[in-house]
Amino acid sequence: MPMLTPASIDQEIAALTGALESLGRPLAVLIAACALLVGLAIAVPAFRGRLRAASAALLAALSLGEAVLVWFHVRLGQACVVVEPQSGRVTGGFALPVWIESEKLYALALLIAVIAVAARRHGEELRPLLAGAAAALAIGALIWGRPFAAPLPDFLAQYRGYLAAWASGDAAAAMRAFASIEGSRRYFYNAWYMWVHPPLLFVSYGAFAASFAATLLMIVRRRSSYEQTAYRWARLGYLPLTAGMILGMPWAIVAWKGEAWWWSGKVNMSLMMWALYTAYLHGRLYLRRPGMWKAVAALSVVAFVALVLTYLTTYLVPGVHSVA
Amino acid sequence: MRERQRWSWDFALAVATVVLLGALGIQSLVGTLYAWWAYRTQPGWEATGYPAFVSVMNAVAAPLAVALVLVMGLCVPKRLFARRALVGVSVGGIAVGVAVWLLTGSIKDGLGAYLGLSALLQAAVVVLTVVGAGGLSYLTDSAAAKAGSGLLHLGFILFALSVVALQSSPFMLPAFLASALLLTGGSALSFYARRPPVEGSGSST
Repeated sequence: MPMLTPASIDQEIAALTGALESLGRPLAVLIAACALLVGLAIAVPAFRGRLRAASAALLAALSLGEAVLVWFHVRLGQACVVVEPQSGRVTGGFALPVWIESEKLYALALLIAVIAVAARRHGEELRPLLAGAAAALAIGALIWGRPFAAPLPDFLAQYRGYLAAWASGDAAAAMRAFASIEGSRRYFYNAWYMWVHPPLLFVSYGAFAASFAATLLMIVRRRSSYEQTAYRWARLGYLPLTAGMILGMPWAIVAWKGEAWWWSGKVNMSLMMWALYTAYLHGRLYLRRPGMWKAVAALSVVAFVALVLTYLTTYLVPGVHSVA
Repeated sequence: MRERQRWSWDFALAVATVVLLGALGIQSLVGTLYAWWAYRTQPGWEATGYPAFVSVMNAVAAPLAVALVLVMGLCVPKRLFARRALVGVSVGGIAVGVAVWLLTGSIKDGLGAYLGLSALLQAAVVVLTVVGAGGLSYLTDSAAAKAGSGLLHLGFILFALSVVALQSSPFMLPAFLASALLLTGGSALSFYARRPPVEGSGSST
């Protein structure tokens, strides 16, 4: 096994990011083309019959991209090992999830595309809204997230900072950087919560998006059958939302000991979203009372607005969950 | 008849729950907006102003949380007791909580005692429901939805108990995980009952 040095690891990272960029360029074009096809099928009535096929094409392109990202993450995680500078002891590599940093929007686009293709109950009516959302998210992911061109900027910045400190010959700086990256490795990237908490929340976001689309249809077309569809998606989303949030709390207590996380922006907004969806599901039990459907529809819309704000809070409000 | 339906016990509890959850939601939104403003306008706010912000948020949330716990306490034993007995049991539960508060001087201990009592009652409801005991009042016929409802409420109570009474206890993490399991399992059974729960066609609240 060749001797691990900061320079050799940095070289391997450069090779991997270069390979990802080469593979990602045509993939990004393919994804953008499929997103445009979806937009065309929604906007031009003559092409509406092709919407499911266009949605499936977008899903296939996003899945192909996701497979490349998974390959990149596995290889990068193996390459980026953490070594204690003084003893040379290797503490381990990284298990890098595919739903962090620049890849959040991409993961959401993929999830909504799956729902757009798979939705059966009122699928034809829901598809324009869901496939349109998936296409918009995919374009947004390519423009702002840039998962193929600029992958994992925060992780790579921190890891390269550690490599630079290790290579500098300053023992104290190297140990400080080691302590920081080892903490991130143990309590963030490789923590089992990281593989449970965010994916559960993403699944709930996808289901709530479908519920919101059905609620919009109910409000516009005033047909009660859409309410059933909205409820079915909401109950699907509520389960992973509740479990994901509760599983996040012990993680926060252990990993953020001494840090300001309680009542932080993201925690606040998540609590608000959960409270509103709980209120929606409670209110919905009395749907047959006169005028109750309006209150239930309003709760559903407000809860989804809270969901969008919760997502945006990560980027707008500073705090431990934040990239603001 | 219409009047009776309008002000049924279940409906009143559901309205109270929705109002309290809405208030908690508004508090969260206002708190987030304040934190956003403070971060932007006060350099170093996280070090200087955050502890005070947490104290204010806790103080505002406490009465809402207490009220939610009380509503939950009224909701939980409604399966076991008739209306008059239910009010007695609810008042009794509150009295025990207040007594512990007064004896120990700690509202946390009072809430913990009240929640512990609610958890015991709810555990009894779950056991009685699972073994199919008669006399439990549910609006649904689905055995899965009944068990799910019981587990869901038990999960909420255990979660509240973890936050209120077990924060510095070694039992906190196991209690959190148990509440997550109960909430997830309860939601699955309750919300995936064959018929969607709606008053008049079967409710699992």
